[in-house]
Amino acid sequence: MAGNGRNIRKNRTVKITGDNFIGILVIVVLCVCWALAARAIGKPLILPDFLETIKTFFESWLNTRVMRNLWITMRRVLTGTLYAVIVGTILGLAMGYSPKILKALSPVVNSIRQVPIMAWVPLSIVWFGLGEGPTVFLIFMSAVFPLTINTIAGIAGIDENYINAARSMGANTFAIFRDVIIPGALPDFLTGVRLAVGAGWMSVICAEFIATSAGFGYLMIEAQERLQTSRLYALMLMSAIVGFAIDRLILLLDRKLTGWRFRDGVVRG
Amino acid sequence: MALLEVNNLTKVFGEEQPHVVLENLSFTVEKGEFVSLLGPSGCGKTTLLSMIGGFQMPTEGSIVLDGDVIRGPSVSKGYVFQNYALFPWMTVEKNISYGLRFTDLSDKQKKERLDYLLDMAHLKGHEKKYPIQLSGGMQQRVAVARALACEPKVLLLDEPLGAVDFQMRELMQNQLDEMVRFADITVVMVTHDVAESVFMSDRVLVMSAERGEILEDVRIDLPSPHDRDCPEFEKYVEHITLLLRHAFNRTEHSLDAV
Repeated sequence: MAGNGRNIRKNRTVKITGDNFIGILVIVVLCVCWALAARAIGKPLILPDFLETIKTFFESWLNTRVMRNLWITMRRVLTGTLYAVIVGTILGLAMGYSPKILKALSPVVNSIRQVPIMAWVPLSIVWFGLGEGPTVFLIFMSAVFPLTINTIAGIAGIDENYINAARSMGANTFAIFRDVIIPGALPDFLTGVRLAVGAGWMSVICAEFIATSAGFGYLMIEAQERLQTSRLYALMLMSAIVGFAIDRLILLLDRKLTGWRFRDGVVRG
Repeated sequence: MALLEVNNLTKVFGEEQPHVVLENLSFTVEKGEFVSLLGPSGCGKTTLLSMIGGFQMPTEGSIVLDGDVIRGPSVSKGYVFQNYALFPWMTVEKNISYGLRFTDLSDKQKKERLDYLLDMAHLKGHEKKYPIQLSGGMQQRVAVARALACEPKVLLLDEPLGAVDFQMRELMQNQLDEMVRFADITVVMVTHDVAESVFMSDRVLVMSAERGEILEDVRIDLPSPHDRDCPEFEKYVEHITLLLRHAFNRTEHSLDAV
């Protein structure tokens, strides 16, 4: 039995290493293609030299101005997402738990969420002026709906017998909410948080193109205006890596909180 | 006085096109009895059990448990669901002791009760596992232990072995039988398996496919635990199977007539 367990563990390690190897290989192949294509095209304004871009990329992590602007953007994402989590959770729980509230609010929520996020930019500038306000508002608007909808779906997916079981063991409405509804909806809610932060991260960059004079998106526009294409590429790479890191962090939280869903306690994604 | 009384119970679903599931049904269950409700799918047996559990209300009639009319779910009725409905986010011990949170027992008494239930369900050593990490048999034992935690007056089992494959079925029937006999509790079980009902029960209420009419109240007069290999056991199985076949044929005829 013990030997069997060791074999399983060994195979799993081999598999994970294999997966990582393929992932790294794909990245290496893409980099080689980039380097060759840049040489062949010979126009750094369109596709900058690979090595120069990588050099700028590493330098950017040490550049205080870039890091300060990255922090500004991160702060906006966290603030906007926090507001979205508060509103989305309350809205999602209410709409998921009460069919009456769902019926009442569904047309409004489902109409507003169809408005493209960039269409909110002019209005957000009118409401909040330039700077922090419109960016946080746009993050909020892009994050709140995935959160609300996932929370509703999470509650709808809870087996009614869980609630019946709790009631037959003496649980009141508050206890059912605390012990059944919230943990039952948590996996979908956390998926909603992942989608929300992803949407927030994407929309903040767009918002910073237009509505502010600081932040990561602003640095990108600045690089574009100064024709520093390699810097623009380096910043785009950074934004991809930061976005990926945030996503992994939420996945880690998901693993910590909802490992009970999987036989081996591992949340995949 | 019987522990459980079902009096002239009628259940109708729908208002515009009413569908009568149960009509004027009456029976009683004595304290300590194990009674099975046996019938074809759709005969209303699960609806009946759900009403005894307090999850649904009768359209007419009443269900009385130990002198009190059932008006909703409560700790006096332990319920084991067909899919067990164990909370997947709680460990075995938290699932079993969930109902104890709402009692006035001291922490020491709760711990003792939990230990007793873990022991009875042969779950010692598995306390920290989550339901997904358990076999079907263990999940069933957790569900029964959880339903018994608050010492209900009646244990209600809704096809507890409905999703279990044939090979495992007898083994799990033995385990379930051992647990409920040990707990010395009144049980009402819904099943569609004739042999299972004869093996587990003191009485089998055979229900028709339409309107939950009780075709016969069969008392299983065998020494406990019931021996599956004795000729009398076979006779009970044959008798009940014949009853169900007649009921089925009758339903077919009435459907043809329609």
